Amino acid sequence: MTETAIEAAALGKGFGRRRKQALDDCSFRLLTGSVCAVVGPNGAGKSTLLSLAAGLLRPTDGTITVLGAAPAAVRERLAYVAQDKPLHPQLTVADTLRYGRELNPGRWDDQVAERIVAEGELEAGARIRTLSGGQRTRVALALALGKRPELLLLDEPMADLDPLARHQLMATLMADAAEHGTTVVMSSHVVAELDGACDHLLLLGAGRVRLSGPLDDLLAAHRLVTGRADASLDPHTVVESRTTGRQTTALVRPEGPLGPSWQATAPTLEELVLAHLRAPEAPALRLDDVREAAV
Amino acid sequence: MTGVRAPRGPRGLIWATLRVHRTALIFWGLALTAATVCLVWMYAIADDARRGNVPCAEPAHDGYPSCSSVEAITVDDTYTQGIALVTTALTYAIFPVAAWAGGALVGRELENGTARLAWTQSVTPARWLAARLAVPAVLLTAATGTVTLLGLWARQDDDPNLVGDWYYPDVFLGTGPTAVVYPLAGLALGALAGLLLRRALPAAGVGFAAALLLYNLLERNRETLWPTVTRAEAGGFELPRSAWQMGWNDSLTRATYHPRSHFWPLQYVETGIVLAIAAAATLAAFAVLRRRTP
Repeated sequence: MTETAIEAAALGKGFGRRRKQALDDCSFRLLTGSVCAVVGPNGAGKSTLLSLAAGLLRPTDGTITVLGAAPAAVRERLAYVAQDKPLHPQLTVADTLRYGRELNPGRWDDQVAERIVAEGELEAGARIRTLSGGQRTRVALALALGKRPELLLLDEPMADLDPLARHQLMATLMADAAEHGTTVVMSSHVVAELDGACDHLLLLGAGRVRLSGPLDDLLAAHRLVTGRADASLDPHTVVESRTTGRQTTALVRPEGPLGPSWQATAPTLEELVLAHLRAPEAPALRLDDVREAAV
Repeated sequence: MTGVRAPRGPRGLIWATLRVHRTALIFWGLALTAATVCLVWMYAIADDARRGNVPCAEPAHDGYPSCSSVEAITVDDTYTQGIALVTTALTYAIFPVAAWAGGALVGRELENGTARLAWTQSVTPARWLAARLAVPAVLLTAATGTVTLLGLWARQDDDPNLVGDWYYPDVFLGTGPTAVVYPLAGLALGALAGLLLRRALPAAGVGFAAALLLYNLLERNRETLWPTVTRAEAGGFELPRSAWQMGWNDSLTRATYHPRSHFWPLQYVETGIVLAIAAAATLAAFAVLRRRTP
C-alpha cells in the first residue's frame, strides 16, 4: 500500500492571544496501514497533533491532509479517542454502544464493539459513571473500533489500564488493525507500551518533528557506540554523548564506516527515544520520504 | 453489517439528544403533566369559583345572596391561585430553560469533551448543534403551546376579579404567543452562552442573566411597543377597568392608555422582538461554532 494516511505540511497550531505555538512547522507523512507511535515529552504537541488530525482543531499554519482530504471532510472514516476518554456518564454501556450505532449509520459494527466490551466483563446495564478508568477506556475503544475506521487516532490510550488489560487490549487493537488494514496513530510518553506494536515512529519535541519514519529505518540509521573519551566521532552526527571517566557512550548517525576504536551496537527503541529526549538540540531526521521515493 | 436491530422510535441525533438529556425530558414531562392536571382542575371548579365572586347583600335581598354565604365559598381563592400559579410558572419558564441550555445542553458537553466525542462520530458540529437546539425547541413549543391554550380554556370568561387584568405582566405574557417564544429565546441565549464560555456553570449563570435582562427590558418597555390612545374631555371622565392606564394630567381631564383591543398588537410586536432575538442568538451560536471548528 502506498496511499497516504496523514500528510502534514508546515503544520502549525498556536493557542491563545499570544499564539503560543503548540505545534510549529511540522511536516511528516504516514502511509496507510502503518501503526505509528507519536512519542514526546509532556507538552510536545502530541494531543494537539491528534486533535488536528481528527478535525477538531483548525491549523493556524500549514495544512494537514487525512485519507486524501481535509480531516473534517472524512469524519466518518476516522475514529478518535481523546486522552480523558470523554463519555456520557449517565448512559449505560449498552446505551453508549447504541450512541455509536445511531451516530454512525451505515458504518457501525455491533459485533466488534460488543466483543471488546465483553472481553472486559462489563455489564451492559452498568452506567459509565460507575466504571473504573480502565473500564471507561475499554468502552471508549469499543466505540472507536465499532465505527470501523480507516484511521484510528488514540491519545494516550493505555494510561489508565493495568498491565494485563493493557496487553490484552493492545493485542485486540493490533489484531483488528492488521485484519482490516487500519492505520493506527497512538500517542504515548511510555515508550515501553509501544515497543513491538508500532512500525512507524514520530518523535515530537517542543512542537517540532524530531524523528519521523519507519521504525526499522530509523533504528538502522543510528548506532550506539562506546569508545575512549578522546577518540573522535567525526564525521558522524552525534545525537547525544555521555562521558564517564575515560569512556564515552554516544548515539550517532553514522555517515560512513565507524572507526575501529568504537564498539557499535544497534539501539533499542527506548534508547533511540531517550537519547533524543535528552538532547533537544540534536538535528531532526525525516525518513518518511525515503520510502516514498522507493515505491 | 451484522447485528443491526431496528429499534422503534427516534433515530440518530434525535435519539442521542433525547437519551443524553433524559433527565430534562422527564422533568419536561412532569411539568407538562402537572400544569395540565392543575388547569383541568381549575376548569372543573371555574363555575363554583364564579359563584363565590358575585355581588352580595347583608342580609340577602333583591336577589343578591347574603355576603356571609358568599364568603363561605373559598373555591374562588383556590381557582385564582391555581390559575396564577400556572401562568407565573409559564412566564418564568424562560429562566430555567436558559440556565439548562447554557449549562447542561451545551456548556457541559464542551467542558467535559463529549461534544468532541459526537463530532468524531459521523456527525458534523453544525448538525450536532442543530439537533441540540431543534429537539428541545419542538418539545418546548409543544408544552408551552398546550399550557397556554389550556390556560385560556380554564380562564373561561376572563373575569379580571378571578384571573387578573390582561395587562398584568404575568397575565399578558401567559395568554398569548409570547408564552411560546420567550422559552425559545431562553434556549437560544443559553446555547450561545454555552458555546462562548464552554463551561457548564458560568454558561448556566450567563444564560440565566441574559434571560433575566431580556425579560425585564421588555417588561419595562412593554407599554411603548404600540402607540397609546389619548382621551380628553373637559368635564373629566373615568376609564373602564380594562384600560391599561399610563397617566393622567393634573386636572384629570386627559388620559393616555392602552385599551383592551391593544392586546393583540402588543402581543405581535413583543413576539416579533423576542423571536428576532432568538434567531439572532441562534445564528450567533452557529457562527461561533463554525469559527471554533474546522
